[in-house]
Amino acid sequence: MRPPSSPELGRPALLAEGLWKAFPQYKPGMGSLKALFAFQARQKPEPVWALRDLTFTVRAGESVAVIGRNGSGKSTLLGALARVYRPTQGRVEARGRVAPLLELGAGFHPDLTGRENIVLNGALLGLSRREIAARMDDIIAFSELESFMDTPIKTYSSGMQMRLGFSIAVQTEPDILLVDEVLAVGDEAFQHKCYRQIERFQREGRTILFVSHDLDAVKRVAPRTLWIVKGEMRQDGPTDEVVEAYLEATRAAEAADDAEAGHSG
Amino acid sequence: MLTDLRELYRYRELLAVLVARDLKVRYKRSALGFLWSLINPLMQMVVLTVIFKFVLRYKVENYSAWVLAAILPWSFFQNSILDAAQSILIHYNLLKKVYFPREVIPLASVLSNLTHLGLSLLVFFAYGLLFPIYHSHALVAPPWWGWALLWLPGIVTLHALLCVGLALMVSALNVYYEDVKFIVQILVNLLFYACPIIYGTVSIAVGKDPLSPASQSLFFWYRLNPMASLIYLYQKALLSHATPLDPRMRIFTEQDALVLAITVVECVGAALLGYAFFNRRKWEFAERL
Repeated sequence: MRPPSSPELGRPALLAEGLWKAFPQYKPGMGSLKALFAFQARQKPEPVWALRDLTFTVRAGESVAVIGRNGSGKSTLLGALARVYRPTQGRVEARGRVAPLLELGAGFHPDLTGRENIVLNGALLGLSRREIAARMDDIIAFSELESFMDTPIKTYSSGMQMRLGFSIAVQTEPDILLVDEVLAVGDEAFQHKCYRQIERFQREGRTILFVSHDLDAVKRVAPRTLWIVKGEMRQDGPTDEVVEAYLEATRAAEAADDAEAGHSG
Repeated sequence: MLTDLRELYRYRELLAVLVARDLKVRYKRSALGFLWSLINPLMQMVVLTVIFKFVLRYKVENYSAWVLAAILPWSFFQNSILDAAQSILIHYNLLKKVYFPREVIPLASVLSNLTHLGLSLLVFFAYGLLFPIYHSHALVAPPWWGWALLWLPGIVTLHALLCVGLALMVSALNVYYEDVKFIVQILVNLLFYACPIIYGTVSIAVGKDPLSPASQSLFFWYRLNPMASLIYLYQKALLSHATPLDPRMRIFTEQDALVLAITVVECVGAALLGYAFFNRRKWEFAERL
């Protein structure tokens, strides 16, 4: 099923072509020095295929959601697009500056102040110190954490850390924003603000890949959705259709589970 | 390797920020900050002086100065290798989320310790301004260092290359085998005694005469250990005006030239090999953590 190609969208921003990704699965103790000395090192670990033959294109300016159950490969896909994982087979490409919206605290050091952490996080996203300094005020203003900027991050609540992380990712103006299930942490008002930023991004023609279990958020943000099942593309199309099919499948699976439980109980 | 170096250059700002972060965290946590990390080598110097000079009555002039000139570069080596060994594991959450050249992390460990070496050498120079030294049984008033000091940047560069190479290798191996960290700790402790830190190179001799051919040959083999060779060079550069613990220090022989050439090859080789090894593995780290 091909997505509707809309002529106003630009060149490809994210590309996956026959993307396969396997992770070696190590049994406990395998690959340890003990195993090396016991001459078990040659034993090849069984590969676990996290992504199987994914092919899709996201054009510049498009917002695309990725849905699927836990362990379906959504985060691996995001990792491959962020160049954290190398494909086992096939090809991925991201054209433009990619900003992964870091998980809570991933790029933060607890002992450093908010301001120092902004510099650290910005550098991780590939910005120079001058570029970070130029955006510092915007980042602080957006996060609404002005009075906490000179206290160490370890005193922040998780909501505050998320706000700071989101502000950095958004205010550094990336071409492509990868969002992995983080918006759920903030309070109502801040979430609202985040969505407004995402809408601004969309108006400015930036690209967003949005991974979430929150189907309402998916419907709100992305007109197009990829549904992944066990690393394989199940469906790629307009969000309404894909979410509907996904819910249908989930209900069917639940019914099957219930039937199973009924039999055994 | 060239593409890797170019990519590393693109991320030089990140490296600078990480080094600044390491130093900030290190010096910020406590009231005395930076002083704490100086107190450690100073304490070692005092303890060693008391033990060797006053308890064991080791009869050498300027013992404290020799120990200090050796212990500061040794601390740089030890801390950068041990910090680097853990560095990739500590930053696993970044590696799993963000793209950046992975070598930035162990390099930051080495460079922040290198900065620290620079600062702690200031302590050595303060010592040189405050205390006199002996030369041919006469006291020389401070400041007493000489032109040999100009060697220092070159020696530090070689030393840093050695540390970079070993740090890259150890940090990569530790991702695969966590035992590596412990093995490295033991090896570094052993290496301490294979370097002229608590004893002078004068002890590296057959019989009483350090200038005999047998002693010279033993001294040659001893200095094939790059850390022993480097510390000997540090002492030569920093203390050229002090009475040498070792008469061989006064002169620059053909053997010295050969050893220096070998040390250069070892340090540059360590850096190249370490980087090549690290590069072969670095994109697997995120999968193994």
